[in-house]
Amino acid sequence: MKEVIAIVRMNMMNQTKKALTEAGVDAFFAHEATGRGKGFVNPQVLAGAEEGYEEAASLLGEKGKLYPKRVITIVVDDDFVDTVVDTIVTTNKTGKPGDGKIFVLPIKNAVRVRTGDAGMKAIS
Amino acid sequence: MLIMIRAIVRPEKADAVLAALMDAGFPAVTKYSVAGRGKQRGIKIGEVTYDEIPKTMLMSVINEEDKDFVINTIMNTARSGAKGAFGDGKIFISDVECAYTISSGVKEGAEVEA
Repeated sequence: MKEVIAIVRMNMMNQTKKALTEAGVDAFFAHEATGRGKGFVNPQVLAGAEEGYEEAASLLGEKGKLYPKRVITIVVDDDFVDTVVDTIVTTNKTGKPGDGKIFVLPIKNAVRVRTGDAGMKAIS
Repeated sequence: MLIMIRAIVRPEKADAVLAALMDAGFPAVTKYSVAGRGKQRGIKIGEVTYDEIPKTMLMSVINEEDKDFVINTIMNTARSGAKGAFGDGKIFISDVECAYTISSGVKEGAEVEA
């Protein structure tokens, strides 16, 4: 059993939800967060700012700014992790910095509260 | 090996921790608001017990060799006063099997290095 935590752009949520449903992931949990990444910027903009163009400098913004993001948490079977990761990557990829990250963590157990089922029964 | 650090800190200390992490060379952090209580069962003021105290959760995934340094950085910045006080928060560490960067599709983690 694995936990997939994906941090994605706010405006990608609807597409991601749709794509995950089509891929067979029915249950997931999401919440809002703010965050920053490695802070990579467009090299062209950076070059422009260094040459002293004010427009480019304002595009860069201040260092360490936090951007609004959505965090999706999905718990799935081991075999299903690759499908989930592929789905999220293909839906959210724009190729620009800020598309987000996906983390895969091991999970020991899961329990469905309604029935008390544990393990694979709880997530399938 | 990648690890995930989840630190629950005082909301007023979050900015200081973020700045300290940026200076220490760990810019990538995700922040969200949470509410909770700790071992002291909340704060009792007169007759009223406050057991949903607002806190800020900071989440970051780093390499295992940087673990102690990052934990110390967070701990030293998030502590209130010299000795610290109840309510300064907790830090939790969990294993991360792999991490993907969506924009490039690059995979990092134990399986790649092996």
